[in-house]
Amino acid sequence: MLYFVARRLVSALSVVLVTLIATFALFFIAPTDPAAAICGDRNCTQERYNEIKKNLNLDQPKVQQFAEYTAGIFAGRTFETSGVIQDCNAPCLGYSFKNDRPVTQMIKDRLPVTVSLVAGYAVLVLTIGVFVGSMAAKRRGTLGDRALMSSTLILSSVPYYIVALMISLYFTILYPILPRGGYTPLTDNAGKWFAGLLTPWLVLGIYNCTAYARYSRGSMVETLSEDYIRTARAKGLSDRKVTYKHALRSGMIPVITIFGLDVAGSLAGAIFTERIFDLPGLGNLVLQSLETYDLPVIMGTVLVASVVLVAMNFIVDVAYSLIDPRVRLS
Amino acid sequence: MSIGSPDSTVGIEDHPASAEPERAKGVAHGKSPTRIAMDRLRKDKVAIVCATIVVLFILVAVFAPLLVKLEGADIGTFNPDLVDAYGFPVNGPTPAHWFGVEPKTGRDNFARWVYGARPSLIIAFIATVSGTVIGVVMGLLAGFLGGWVDRIISWVIDFVLSLPYLLFAIAMVPIVEQLRGGSFNLTPAEQAQIRFFVLIFVLSFFGWAGLARIIRGEVLSLREREFVLAAKAIGVPTRQVLFKELLPNLVAPIVISASLALPAYVTAEAGLSFLGVGLIEPVPSWGQTIATATNWFKADPIYLWLPVLGITILVLALALLGDAVRDAFDPKTRR
Repeated sequence: MLYFVARRLVSALSVVLVTLIATFALFFIAPTDPAAAICGDRNCTQERYNEIKKNLNLDQPKVQQFAEYTAGIFAGRTFETSGVIQDCNAPCLGYSFKNDRPVTQMIKDRLPVTVSLVAGYAVLVLTIGVFVGSMAAKRRGTLGDRALMSSTLILSSVPYYIVALMISLYFTILYPILPRGGYTPLTDNAGKWFAGLLTPWLVLGIYNCTAYARYSRGSMVETLSEDYIRTARAKGLSDRKVTYKHALRSGMIPVITIFGLDVAGSLAGAIFTERIFDLPGLGNLVLQSLETYDLPVIMGTVLVASVVLVAMNFIVDVAYSLIDPRVRLS
Repeated sequence: MSIGSPDSTVGIEDHPASAEPERAKGVAHGKSPTRIAMDRLRKDKVAIVCATIVVLFILVAVFAPLLVKLEGADIGTFNPDLVDAYGFPVNGPTPAHWFGVEPKTGRDNFARWVYGARPSLIIAFIATVSGTVIGVVMGLLAGFLGGWVDRIISWVIDFVLSLPYLLFAIAMVPIVEQLRGGSFNLTPAEQAQIRFFVLIFVLSFFGWAGLARIIRGEVLSLREREFVLAAKAIGVPTRQVLFKELLPNLVAPIVISASLALPAYVTAEAGLSFLGVGLIEPVPSWGQTIATATNWFKADPIYLWLPVLGITILVLALALLGDAVRDAFDPKTRR
């Protein structure tokens, strides 16, 4: 077990290290003039350009720049802009010369939005998906089961952003049946927070629960045909107890695995939802930064998202190996 | 001629151990798995309908200039006389403009829609082909050679699969533009062209890994089979074992993966263009039109619904077709 965890940890850390190098290479080695890229084309003065160049030590060797960047993540560093020295505390992911703020701060500001969105989505998708899936598995082969499964296939084949956009335009703006998307901090006004996130949650949850319904149906169908379920039935346990206490427990293992990766992926990939429902989360931050060519922000977000994904991958793998010992052998 | 040189296997090539037996005409014979799958597909009504729709879209894309000529408009002409002072189109569909004109610019909607089918299909097809080729080659090499080659390729697969691809796609755009002289110094046409290649690159870069992992697993079990051992024993060169012996046995996973990749790439291309990361003016693209049309959807619904229906129907048809293909090729559903 320990050997398995250690091996997975080394592999996860190697992925993080290479991602760090890759993002650094993408933003500091690939562009012919990184300072110009960071400064942007519009409104870039010569002074600003020189300042960026000096701040990031761009005339030093690339290896030294990389070392400084990495050191900044662990120990923090300082930047000098317009004559003022700005602290960039650890984990320092760079400095946005466009907004005159450390990237870490900007990401921290946006994080509650994305986390709120993903948390509500996670609750919704898991409950609806698993419930629908296990209902379908119990009634396998009936008309209801088949109708449900083919409708989930059709819904999940329509691109997500089309569904979200149409619901947003027609049901929150033209015919306001659902509350319009928006973000109010939970600590400011819990009711407004909930109302603004309700539609995005519903859209994201209902669209994605189709996949969960399929997974849990497949897994439950398999579990329900196992011997121990027959034993439980033979003992005279109630149908409800057999399904929800005996079968659901082991049937949910593969679903939870997918769930873990999906939540991590949503943290990095809720871009469409955030754009369509006007939520100022991480995804919107990246899109806004693209419009203004604020490269350090894009770089920082990519790095954070990659690390979250790798960490989640690792946690899911270890958790899975705890539940199912066969995994450790491979 | 020494044993093991390519020439010594000329005869073997014609009778590979894995292939179906030679058929005599009129004699009952076994069918190859691909044949069985194709037969089942032909009987599947949903598959036929979806395939027809996909072919229609391809025809629209191929004959876009002809269709537009038939209508009598073109994609680039601005018609400021057809929109009012606020940019709203003056009249709806007319014989000269079948689906009306764009708000603000007054360009022809039908022409933009017809030409919009092109980038979607071209990018999706190129990305699918290149992603599939890379995935198959990598999977074959990793599975067959084993050892450190396998370890490196498997690590790269894990690495690619653990990256957030949407974010990387967004990050690639400014970098590539900067490499070509900065977005400020590029003409819109040049910028649009760069975006086109960035899209293909990003989609194939993130698309090959999943297939490579599947192929690797299949090859791991296939390489221990007798026909591969036999081929190796008589000195068939590695390249030939890989592509002449193993590859024909991998048709099913390859076809399935490609049929699932196509709708995913059409979706991704339009989605990235919708976000402003993909194709940009002057190249007409559905995703980009949807993004603009959301500002006009109350006054000019047709402008929004054209690309929305285009993408939805195309992706739905491709996805259901892919599902039918998967069913047809899956030995577990064999009747």
